[in-house]
Amino acid sequence: MIKITNLEKFYRTEEVETIALNKLSIEVKTGEFVAIMGPSGCGKSTLLNILGMLDDPDEGSYVFNGIEVAHFTERKRADLRKHNIGFVFQSFNLIDELTVFENVELPLIYTGVPSSERVKRVEEVLDKMQIMHRRNHYPQQLSGGQQQRVAIARAVVNKPKLILADEPTGNLDSSNGNDVMELLTDLNEQGTTIIMVTHSEHDARYSHRIIRLLDGQTVMENIMI
Amino acid sequence: MIRNYIKTAFRSLMKNKGFTIINVLGLALGLATCLLIVFYVFDELSYDRYNEKADRIYRVNDDIKFGGNTNSYAVSPAPMAAAMKADFPEIEQIVRFRGKGGNQVKKGNQNIEEDMMIYADPSVFDVFTLPMISGSPTTALTEPHTIVITEQIAQKYFNKTNVVGQVLTFNDTAQYKITGVIKNIPHQSHFHFDFFISMSTLAESRDIAWLSSNFNTYILLKPGTDYKKLEAKFDAFYKKHAGPQLEDILHLNFAKFEQGGNYIRINLIPVKKIHLYSNRVAEFDANGNIDYVYIFSAIAIFILLIACVNFMNLSTARSSNRAREVGVRKVLGSARKYLIAQFLTESIIVTLLGAVIAVFAAWALLPLFNQMSGKELIITPHIVSWLIPALFIIIIVIGCLAGSYPALFLSGFNPIDVLKGKLANGFKGGLLRSFLVVFQFAISIFLIIGTLVIYNQLKFIQNKDLGYNRDHVLTVGNIGALGNSANTFKQEVKQIAGVTDASLSEALPTWDYGNGTTLFKDQAPDQKRALNTQFWGIDEDYINTLGMKIIKGRNFSKEMLTDSTGLIINEAAAKVLAFSNPIDQKLYAPTDNMVKNLKAYHIVGVIKDFNFKSLRLNVTPLVFRLDGGRGAFCVRVNSANIPALLAQIKKSWSGVAPNYQFDYSFLDQQFDSLYRSEQRIGTIVIAFTSLAIIIACLGLFGLAAYAAEQRTKEIGIRKILGANMSTIVGMLSKDFIGLVAIAIAIASPLAWWAMKQWLEGFAYRQNIQWWELALAGIAAVFIAFITISFQSIRAALTNPVKSLRSE
Ligand SMILES: Nc1ncnc2c1ncn2[C@@H]1O[C@H](COP(=O)(O)OP(=O)(O)OP(=O)(O)O)[C@@H](O)[C@H]1O
Ligand SMILES: [Mg+2]
Repeated sequence: MIKITNLEKFYRTEEVETIALNKLSIEVKTGEFVAIMGPSGCGKSTLLNILGMLDDPDEGSYVFNGIEVAHFTERKRADLRKHNIGFVFQSFNLIDELTVFENVELPLIYTGVPSSERVKRVEEVLDKMQIMHRRNHYPQQLSGGQQQRVAIARAVVNKPKLILADEPTGNLDSSNGNDVMELLTDLNEQGTTIIMVTHSEHDARYSHRIIRLLDGQTVMENIMI
Repeated sequence: MIRNYIKTAFRSLMKNKGFTIINVLGLALGLATCLLIVFYVFDELSYDRYNEKADRIYRVNDDIKFGGNTNSYAVSPAPMAAAMKADFPEIEQIVRFRGKGGNQVKKGNQNIEEDMMIYADPSVFDVFTLPMISGSPTTALTEPHTIVITEQIAQKYFNKTNVVGQVLTFNDTAQYKITGVIKNIPHQSHFHFDFFISMSTLAESRDIAWLSSNFNTYILLKPGTDYKKLEAKFDAFYKKHAGPQLEDILHLNFAKFEQGGNYIRINLIPVKKIHLYSNRVAEFDANGNIDYVYIFSAIAIFILLIACVNFMNLSTARSSNRAREVGVRKVLGSARKYLIAQFLTESIIVTLLGAVIAVFAAWALLPLFNQMSGKELIITPHIVSWLIPALFIIIIVIGCLAGSYPALFLSGFNPIDVLKGKLANGFKGGLLRSFLVVFQFAISIFLIIGTLVIYNQLKFIQNKDLGYNRDHVLTVGNIGALGNSANTFKQEVKQIAGVTDASLSEALPTWDYGNGTTLFKDQAPDQKRALNTQFWGIDEDYINTLGMKIIKGRNFSKEMLTDSTGLIINEAAAKVLAFSNPIDQKLYAPTDNMVKNLKAYHIVGVIKDFNFKSLRLNVTPLVFRLDGGRGAFCVRVNSANIPALLAQIKKSWSGVAPNYQFDYSFLDQQFDSLYRSEQRIGTIVIAFTSLAIIIACLGLFGLAAYAAEQRTKEIGIRKILGANMSTIVGMLSKDFIGLVAIAIAIASPLAWWAMKQWLEGFAYRQNIQWWELALAGIAAVFIAFITISFQSIRAALTNPVKSLRSE
């Protein structure tokens, strides 16, 4: 599903040039559950952003579902993204002004799903995440674990083929964290490809494969299963 | 401590350059405009105050309804002054003026046209403060054929001011001995005469007719006199003196006269009010208008308010970004009052910067503003003396007002809440801010509608069919100087190729000319069968030259000898006369002020009404008689080569009047000059409205930037979830556009009502069109949208990864 070759990403500030990704090559197959690990600042989030087409690489190729997207325009990337990729963040990134229901509904609005269909799908997914009873609450009124479940609900409501999760359990205690990992595992078992950045060896054990990064380069891959 | 505040304030202002610039610029623009308007308004309000006795000087006005016509005059009968002085001990002094019109004054062997001439009683120097730099005010105008001139005229004709005893020659014939030189009359005066000729020169000044008004009469009351009480005695006074004459002429007493629905009322107006409140027949100058003083003051206040609102809005908006700073400072132990002082220091510095720029801007713009307004405003030490303290107060007030909200609000916050970021949510509602934006835009929309209506009305006046054709008509001045050769000149001009027609007459429609009389249907005057009307002498070419339309009967004709007693009346006169067929009806005109003798005329034609007064007024009755007069000469031209034509006309002129200047102008230009003050007001209003809108937009621009900044995270999330640019722009604009819509709903009816009041002042007006309201609304939304889009597009283009990182 994903194949990146010799991917490079630099950040230039006035004085220094940081190499966030250095000739990185990775392949992820459809249906895989991959964990990315590595020390802080090694480029994990940068990689995830590029994979999620939120950012474009400076060099190298990125083939998504057989299409070279490295030099796609912003508009094309956005189009591809909204139909194929869901995001889960460490800090949840829910919109404070919208209710749980409205937050989850957003991706459907942006992909032009008609209103009646939207209600059905949002309810379905809220049900699955067991937060149906909180549908009219605002994010501030929820616990961290509940917020992350809403975020996951929002990521999957469009039935994406790929979910990118950046430290999804980073702000959660272990029991809430485990719940979230169970949810991701379920989704993976139903066929969704998952790429997850984590600092926790425990969480990483849920995945099939761990990619370890150091200074923007792969140092090791271990296949778990 | 203060030093520390100022240092921190400067750093914070430098850090947020964008906001600082918007704030300073907005305030500077607002204050500069305000200053200009304040100068203007003060100038308007200062008229005639140069008179030391201004509080005791009043002008006598006459309001007359008679013969189907109502008029308000600034002039009174000749004998009234003496009678008043004799009857009322509370009157200390009284002075009459009588217009003289333009004359040719000789300098060497050249004749120069001078217009600022007046006959005046010698008491003029007791009533008005006209300091004499040469000669004696007590004797200056006592003898016939004596004259007092201004300093500038003395310089012009003699190159010195010490000219008492010298002689000035008018029209090559009349000689006047200079008996005094006065200082130039201040700009802020309701009259600006350069030549004061002794009243005793004029036989008419000894006239005893009470039913003919030609003299501008001013009284000086003794200190402590209540002019309203004096005014109350005028009715009896007038009836006592004019009664016998009325009886004599109309054979009825005042009671009967009043029963016929007629009246003659005498009243007083304080001299200080003349410039702004008086707009009567036979004013000396085109006066100002208090309405415009109000309109400008309102605009000034509005603009200042808009600028302040901007400042407040942006300061409060920005302060929520500083919540963290405040929280940290508080945790570190800063007391509340230090935080308040810190915020106030910042806003006062901004105001100070704005005010300094404003003063320089106003000073730099003053010449341009003078040109626009036709004023001669200057910054005098006197103005500076009150301006500086006033500005100081303004700076403190605005500075504190704008700074107080963030200062009190933020400094009062619990630091834990602030650090947890709860404040940011509390701020998003921003009800106060919404209210202020609505307020600003309501004002802007009000101003846009006002401008549109004013502009439209002025255009309407300019394009209105006046009943005569003012295009391609040339008028030649000084025609009075030609004497009997005027007719020769006319005949010569008519021969020139390119001249369609030429006419000699008493007056032109663009003149502020008044020759009122009363015509009677019978030989024996009867008030019920009278027509009070303008009575102009014209020749048989007048109607054709000016393109007027005869709708009944015929034009005057040279062949018809009986036309020497023929009349052509306008529709308004025909309406009052109410003959079933006016043609060949007889009318009788008095030949003297006492109406001792009446001359019989007969009507030969009716002419379509044409506007010969301001379009603020309805067309009043006007009657033409056949009498070329020596007042006006107009030529209808039909030539592409105007300069060549002018050269030829000038050649004929030199033939008949070699010693006189050839002076010409075009009728359409004269017409335009009638409305110049309105045009000027229009231009100023448009300029100020644009400024108000620019300032409001500056504020909106800042707010939109702030809103986008506040919502960066949200925008980032939405983009990640697939929102495209137009969705984001729409989302950011929606709120503001909503506010503008509310503003439209509030401002439109108010503006509609206010402008209707203004339009009521015009007899001929373009009523407010629905599209003017719609256009103003669309314009406001459009302007707001453009302003906001700038920011929201920027926000929408930001990479979402960046916005989420900065969280
Ligand atoms: N916008 C940016 N401008 C400059 N440098 C950046 C930018 N974004 C990331 N970097 C740099 O790129 C490198 C990789 O950053 P990245 O966020 O991918 O690290 P990470 O592996 O996700 O770290 P963490 O585990 O702390 O989240 C870091 O050195 C970081 O400083
Ligand atoms: Mg990271």
